[in-house]
This record gives sequence, C-alpha cells and structure tokens, in this order.
Amino acid sequence: MTKIFFERTGGFMGRKVNATIDLDDLPDEQAELLDDLLDDADFFELPADLTRPAMPDAFTYNITVSSDERQHSVRVSDATAPDDLRPLLEELSRQARMRR
Amino acid sequence: MPHRHSILCIIPPYMMHEIVMNGSPEQRDFALRSITISEQLRAHRRTALEVMSFMGARPVRAGKKRIVYDAKNGSKLPGAEVRQEGDDPVSDPAVNEAYDGSGITYDLFFDVYGRDSIDGNGLRLDSTVHYQKGYDNAFWNGQQMVYGDGDEDLPESERMFNRFTSALDVIGHELTHGVTSYEANLAYWDQPGALNESMSDVFGSLVKQYQRQQSAANADWIIGEGLFTANVNGIGIRSMKAPGTAYDDPVLGKDPQPAHMKDYVNTIEDNGGVHINSGIPNRAFYATAVELGGFAWEKAGQIWYKTLTDKLAERSNFQDAANLTFETAGELFGAGSLEQQAVRTGWSEVGIAAGAGTGENGTGGTGSGDGCFTAVLRAIGLAK
Repeated sequence: MTKIFFERTGGFMGRKVNATIDLDDLPDEQAELLDDLLDDADFFELPADLTRPAMPDAFTYNITVSSDERQHSVRVSDATAPDDLRPLLEELSRQARMRR
Repeated sequence: MPHRHSILCIIPPYMMHEIVMNGSPEQRDFALRSITISEQLRAHRRTALEVMSFMGARPVRAGKKRIVYDAKNGSKLPGAEVRQEGDDPVSDPAVNEAYDGSGITYDLFFDVYGRDSIDGNGLRLDSTVHYQKGYDNAFWNGQQMVYGDGDEDLPESERMFNRFTSALDVIGHELTHGVTSYEANLAYWDQPGALNESMSDVFGSLVKQYQRQQSAANADWIIGEGLFTANVNGIGIRSMKAPGTAYDDPVLGKDPQPAHMKDYVNTIEDNGGVHINSGIPNRAFYATAVELGGFAWEKAGQIWYKTLTDKLAERSNFQDAANLTFETAGELFGAGSLEQQAVRTGWSEVGIAAGAGTGENGTGGTGSGDGCFTAVLRAIGLAK
C-alpha cells in the first residue's frame, strides 16, 4: 500500500489546500499514474528541503509518501522544484483542488 | 534657509524631470542640482555614471522594454515569445493583459517616482502567461513574472479563479516584488516578508488607482478584484481598507487578514503568514493615504517609495517601517508637517506608534530629523 499526503501553502492568496490519497482506494489507472509520476520524479531520492531561496508568491508543497517499506517527505516551491517533479505537483494540486 | 528645504523636498521626481525638459535655463539648472542632490542622497545602487545619465548627459535611458512569453500550459520558463515591445495586440487576452499591465506599472514607477524599471536601469520586463494547467496563482521567480490561468481545468460549476493577468493590481504586485528585490530586499518571511508583500499590494493598488485616476477616497483598495468567479462569495483576494473582509465563502473560508497588531497571526505556514499579516501595514498605508486625501500615489506613495528604496533593509519589521515612513515624511515634507502627522495617524490605526520613543525626529536613516535640507547638506559634506 502507498499513501500520499499532500499540502500546498502560500501563493498570491496564501490559501492552503491538501489531500491524503491512498493509492489502494483509487481506480487502477489513476493509481498507476501516480506511481509513474513518483518514479519519474525519483521521489525517494530527493532532498527533504528544496524551498530556498523563497520566491515571492510561489506555492510551497509538502509531500509525504509512505509505503510498507519506506517513507519520505519533500518540501519544494514553484521556483525550486526539479523539472521531473513538476508533473507530480501538478497532478496532486489538481486532486487537492477537486477534493477541497 | 529653513524654507528652502520644503521646495527642494516637496517637488517630486516626475516634476523635476518636467522642469529639466521644459523649464527656463534657471529652472532647469535648479532642477538638475536638486536631482543631483537627491540622487546623491540615495547613496546606494547607482553609479556616478548612472547619475550623470539621469541628469541629462543622456548616454542612454533604456526605457520600457517588455516581452510576453507563453508557457503553453507547461512549466518551462520563460516559454515561447509571443509579443515584444511595440508589437500590436495579439488575439490572446492573457498576453495583452500582461503586456499592458506591466506597461502601466512601468509608467507609474517612471512618471511618478522617476524609476526606470525594476532595477532603476531599464531592466527588461519579462512575463510568462498560461503557466501550467489549473495554476491558480501568479509569482515572481527572481527574474520574471509568471501567471496561471486560474482553475480552468475544473468543471465550470467548481471553478473559483479567473486567469491571474485579469487583475491589473496583481501585475503591479508581482513587478513590485522585483523592485523590492533590487532595493530593501526584504527577507521573505515573518514581518519583513509581510512588509515585502505589503509593498507589492501598495504599489499594485497604486497602479490600478493611477490608471483609473482615482483619489484615495474613491479607490476600492481591493487587491485582485475580478479574480474570483461568480461561484465565490467575495469581492477580491484582499482588502487594504478593511483587511479580513475581502471574502467569506463556504469553500474558501473567510479572509484571514488581521487589520490590527492585536490580531497578528503567528504561523509557520506561508513563510510565517506573509500574505496574512501584510493586512496590518496595508491598512496603515490606506489610512495614511485617506488622511492625506487626493491621489494616493502622490504623497503617501512617495513616502512609501522613498522608504522602500532608501531606508528599509532585509530584516526590517513593522515598527521599523512605521518609524522610517515617519522619518521620510519629515524629510520630504518637514518635521511636524501634516504629511508626517498623517503617517503617524495611519500607523496608529493598526496599533503601531510611529517614531515612538524617538520624538518627532524619527530614528536612524539619513539624519537626526532636522529636515530634508540639512540631511542633504550633510550627505554632500556641507554640514555636520
């Protein structure tokens, strides 16, 4: 089982959105998409804090992924996120905005 | 010569430029000397060469240079160039809004404060529109402005945000972050961060007021009016006039901004609540501007601009901002002037005593508070 905790803060408005996603609860297709995006981002190899330097009005993202074997948390911002991580941020933001 | 200082200090830079361009030889000479002196006062980030060009030796004034890029819903910056300075409007309204909005912002800073772009030296204004999909935000990445389209990816009945270029003050807000980074460079957390945010709201709102030629009394003082769709119960993102009242919505919740120091929000989110506590200095500016009457960009804006560019520093807090705007008002308009009293009134509205404990003469900065002229003389070595 894999669980994703996602939180987006800051931005022009300073509004927080979040989502807790259990991949087991998702249709196979969506669970596979998130699995792929985590792989593409090399998520478990990313440094824990990639938020500096802070850039005005950029969103800050906190993502924690836990599975049976491992858990890892990453903090990034729009201005500092690695390119390979951006599709995952976009997808998780979409889910959080829809679930709000 | 106590009455000369008021002449020297009250004439804003845009009028000085007019005098240089159109005045008699004597007027021109006076204006050039005044500009030179006030430039020397600035002391930082301008080389002698720049000052000379500013005086009219005119090597180059770089002027307004804008480029708008399209990220085509991706994350790569800056994206594909779609409109540059002088080009005709295109069919994409987001592109034209970014182009026009950055132009009006440039105009406010140049016409009113004599500032040539973000760096004061003609820096090109780069904007990217259509950043990502469903990106309900705009930001300054240290080099350029970036705008999303709102939540266009959701079903229409769930959308809450329009595209972020649709509000002129948002564009002014982002560009001002650039100005701040070249000047006070306020740290982006806690009170310095909230001041950084507030400066962007102040000049963002002034851009809108300047475009509409609205007086302080007639302006709405709303930041981001029109960003919400009809699905949201709210008039905009923030209210400088009444922080905490911009929206109250079942989905978004209530506008969390405090309007007074007693309600200051301690939080670690949002870099220490920079978009929340900015309500306090925002309201101080609003209250000062309304107290002064007329166009807010003239006196109140001039006091805030000079404080941002000459006085505030990386770690300045709200109390520093109150003291230094008070001090600046004294230098520009005279100690005990109505303008200086208005600044004190503005900050007292939010529970901060400007110049507290230091008397009317303020703290730090360029002088002991004996007015602009003495400070000028001291700066150029003619007085102690």
